[in-house]
Amino acid sequence: MNNSKAIEIRDLHKSYGRMKALQGVNIDVDQGEIFGFLGPNGAGKTTTIRCILDMIRPQSGSIQVMGYDPQKNPRAVHRVVGYLPGELSMEANLRVKNALRYYAELRGNHVDKDYMYQLADRLGLDLDTPIKNLSKGNKQKVGLVQAMMHKPRLLLMDEPTSGLDPLMQQEVYRMLKEAKAGGTTIFFSSHIINEVESLADRVAIINQGVVIEEAEPEKLVNMEVRQMRVRFKNEVDTHRLNQVPGVSLISNGNGAVAMLRVEGDLDNLIKALGEFPVSDISLQRQSLEEVFLAYYKTER
Amino acid sequence: MFTEIKHTLRRMRGASIGWGIGLFAYGLMMANFFTSLEMMEGFLENLENYPPEMLAFFPNIFDIMSPIGYMDTYYFSYMTLIIGFFAVVSCANLLVGDEEKGILDLLVSYPVSRSGFFWGRLLGFMVATAIILLASWLGWLIPAGSSGLNLSAVELLQPFLPLYVVLVLFGGIALLLSMLLPAARMATAAAGGLLLVNYLLVGLANIRTELGSIYKLTPLYFYQGGAAIEGINWETLAGLTGMTLMFILLAWWRFLRREIRVGGEGGWKLPKLAFGGRRT
Repeated sequence: MNNSKAIEIRDLHKSYGRMKALQGVNIDVDQGEIFGFLGPNGAGKTTTIRCILDMIRPQSGSIQVMGYDPQKNPRAVHRVVGYLPGELSMEANLRVKNALRYYAELRGNHVDKDYMYQLADRLGLDLDTPIKNLSKGNKQKVGLVQAMMHKPRLLLMDEPTSGLDPLMQQEVYRMLKEAKAGGTTIFFSSHIINEVESLADRVAIINQGVVIEEAEPEKLVNMEVRQMRVRFKNEVDTHRLNQVPGVSLISNGNGAVAMLRVEGDLDNLIKALGEFPVSDISLQRQSLEEVFLAYYKTER
Repeated sequence: MFTEIKHTLRRMRGASIGWGIGLFAYGLMMANFFTSLEMMEGFLENLENYPPEMLAFFPNIFDIMSPIGYMDTYYFSYMTLIIGFFAVVSCANLLVGDEEKGILDLLVSYPVSRSGFFWGRLLGFMVATAIILLASWLGWLIPAGSSGLNLSAVELLQPFLPLYVVLVLFGGIALLLSMLLPAARMATAAAGGLLLVNYLLVGLANIRTELGSIYKLTPLYFYQGGAAIEGINWETLAGLTGMTLMFILLAWWRFLRREIRVGGEGGWKLPKLAFGGRRT
């Protein structure tokens, strides 16, 4: 196994009874990168993270986290990881400061308390409030602080900005980028496509327990479906463009304008358009969301 | 592990204080009542009018004028049941309760071993239970000289040790059941039911001798109760301790292998029937 990898997962299989949650997941996360993990509900994102942390055990496959096997050496993994669960629950009767103190004690007090309070301050956390009186967003802030306070080498975050207002989301993005600059690897799952697009160095899309795509967000977008708007100098028979491989006509405005959907390479379309009196071409960049949804639809 | 011991004690401080104060006050009151008993004419004769089914639960009731009989009747004969429910509820929820709330999900991501969590919480419970019994012992001890019980601190302490072991034993059963059953409340109900059935057998076996063979297989058969004032039966205590350890070790083994559920997930499901369901 490669020691420059933060996470290496090979052929991971996990079933809950008859239900196959993971069917051969393979993931490589380099140290120091921000890795986004996208997938619909029930795709296997949380199951993958929980296998990484040895909360559940896979039926087969292997996992290495910073060179450690979580099943053989879970404490070593837990020492280097900061975890933010998707369903965050904490003891309701503790005040925030007492909860954070407890979490710091569980880390053997290897926590810079000044840094911990700094994080809390940046997120606007009131340390004297009981957890039960916090809103969902404020509880999420406590979760973020406990995940980051010991400056972990790897952050595993399930929907890190869930419940946060837009300003706080931006603050969290800044904190994560600072953590990355400090050498921390970040592995996060999210449903907020913009978040993944803006933060992640690489993205994996998982569906029905299988990673179906893994690439840089830009590559992912450029590989896939695009929309092109072509204006012609005069009316033409735009339906001929349907015959070009990878091209489908979405609409045509009186034959003088065509909206086209293009999959893959543009070369065939550009050559076909050479036969037409084209006055203008504009290419609409697909968002990651559209790529994502396209994967959902094709894989279901 | 030490962090978990402290944390568990902190969480149980309300219960420890509540039970402790209650049992301390009960001991103070009942110890002072002992001398009044001698002044009650015809008390023993009146006892004979009680139904034998009821008297069966208090085997030393006709010895009630002695310190041993008195303490056994008014404390040690039924505290296994009363404090036993505290032990069962506490232990059934010790780990699985937090798992069901989703709290354990975060905690097991910390660099504390599963064993550290298990033993930390269990030891926290055991210390809390010891504090409760200590408070109870003090309630009996403080007026012991003036109340006519005339028992030394050690003599008064002796019967609390088998009681403590029985409480931890039923707590261990609840803890093991919480690892095996789908929900903490099921473990509470099952362990509480076992405790109640065992307690009922204590009395019923005195009336129906055919139940004796079953009763002899239960933990409370080996429980000395107030008789330990005269001296602890170390053999039976060792047997009870061994049983306790067995349940706890089994629970520990199951927890090491347990898949931590996300709050609310998991449970038994009935197998789907081959027929039924709505046809369109």
